[in-house]
Amino acid sequence: MRAIRKIKIVIAGPFAAGKTQFINTVSEIKTVSTERRTQQLSEKSVKDYTTVAMDFGKIRIDDEHELYLFGTPGQFRFDFMWEILGEGALGIITLVDSTNPTTFHEARKIINFFQSRFPVPIVVGANKQDLPNAWSPEDVRIALDIDEEEGIPVVPLSAVNKDSVKNVLLILLEIVKSNLMS
Amino acid sequence: MALTGDLKTFNFVDIFQVIGRDKKSGILFIEWKDLTCAYYVKEGEIIFSRPVDKVYRVYADKDFELLLNKLRMSPDRLPRTVERFLISKLSMKEGIFSFTPGFIKYSSEYPIEYPMEYLIVLASRHLTPEEVERKISDEMLLFERVPDKEEVLHKAKLNKEEEEILSLVNGDKTVLQIRQLAKKNSLVVDRALYAFLALGLIRRKKKEVKQKPGSITLELLTKIIEKIRGL
Repeated sequence: MRAIRKIKIVIAGPFAAGKTQFINTVSEIKTVSTERRTQQLSEKSVKDYTTVAMDFGKIRIDDEHELYLFGTPGQFRFDFMWEILGEGALGIITLVDSTNPTTFHEARKIINFFQSRFPVPIVVGANKQDLPNAWSPEDVRIALDIDEEEGIPVVPLSAVNKDSVKNVLLILLEIVKSNLMS
Repeated sequence: MALTGDLKTFNFVDIFQVIGRDKKSGILFIEWKDLTCAYYVKEGEIIFSRPVDKVYRVYADKDFELLLNKLRMSPDRLPRTVERFLISKLSMKEGIFSFTPGFIKYSSEYPIEYPMEYLIVLASRHLTPEEVERKISDEMLLFERVPDKEEVLHKAKLNKEEEEILSLVNGDKTVLQIRQLAKKNSLVVDRALYAFLALGLIRRKKKEVKQKPGSITLELLTKIIEKIRGL
C-alpha cells in the first residue's frame, strides 16, 4: 500500500473568528476537533466550546495526496501549537471576524507570528461578511496595517458559504503557484 | 456600512487611521459615559464636532451648510469645536464609537486646523503600554520608511522627539535597536512607531516569501486547485 502524502494549509486567527466553521464547510470528512468548554468569562459569552489543540479537515486530491486543513486555537496561550502546526505548511489563511474590531489587533499579532517564522504566503479572510455590521475588507486591511505592498490579500469571506471558502483557498493556492513559477 | 467598536480595544489612533486613510466622509459618533458627541468628517478630515442629546436628531440635518446656519456657527469657529469636544478627550479610554459613512452633504470647503494626520499624532501621545503593545508587539519587528510621504509628514507636525525616532527607522534596525538608540522612554518610542504606522509613514519590512524547494510540484498544485474548484 502506497503512503498518502499530506499537504497542509493552516487556518489561523483570533478566538471566534470562524476557523472551525471554515474547515467544516469544505472538509470531506467530519472535522476532527479538540474542543473544550470555554473557561474565561469573556470567552464564555461568545461561545461555549473552543479549540484547544487543533481542528483538522481533509480533502482528498488523488490516490496519493490529501490536503489537510489545520485550524489553530485562537488564544495566545496556545501559541505553542501555532509553531507546530505552521511547520511545513503550504500557506497560512488568517481569519478575522469583520464584525468585531476588538480582535483586529490580535489578528495582526497572529499574522506577525507566522510571517516571522514561516516564509509562506498568507491570505486574510475578512469573515462574517454576511452580517450587517461587518467592516469592509478594505477597512479591515487598513485596521490590520496591511500595506498594499506587503503581499497579503484581504479577501471577503463568509465561512458558512462553500463558494466563499473555496475562493479564499484558491487565492492562497494561486499565490503559491505564482511563487513556484517565478 | 457603519463601523462600530469600543475605544477600549480600538483606540482613537486606530479610528482616525481607518477614516483618514481612504478619505471617508460621514459622521463619527462617540458615546462617552456622560456625553455623546458627533464628529463631522469630510473627506477624511474632522471639521466640526458637537455634543448631541439624541443621536437620531443628527440624522435630521443632512445639509451641513443649513446645519451651521441653524446653529449660528460661522465656519471660522469650527476648529474650536474640534479642540473642545475631540482634542480634549483624546486621553479618554472608555466609549463606544460608530462611524456612518455618506449621509451628510457638504457643499463648501471648511477650515482645517487639525488635519487627521495631526490628530493621529496627538492621539498617539495618550496611548497606554497595553495599547502600543497591540501593534509594537515584538521587539524584533523591522520597519521601513514608506517613500513620498512629505505631505503626510508636514501635516503630522511631529515634535523633535518623534522626528528623531522616525529618523532611526531604516529597514535594518529592529524595534529594540530603535528603542536603545533613541535613548528615550520605550513608551515614547512605541507611541511614535504606532503613530507612524497609522500615518502610513512606515511599514513592516516585507519578508521574502519562498516556497521550500521540493515542497510541492506545479503539477500537484494544479491538481489541488482543480479539486478545490470542483468541490
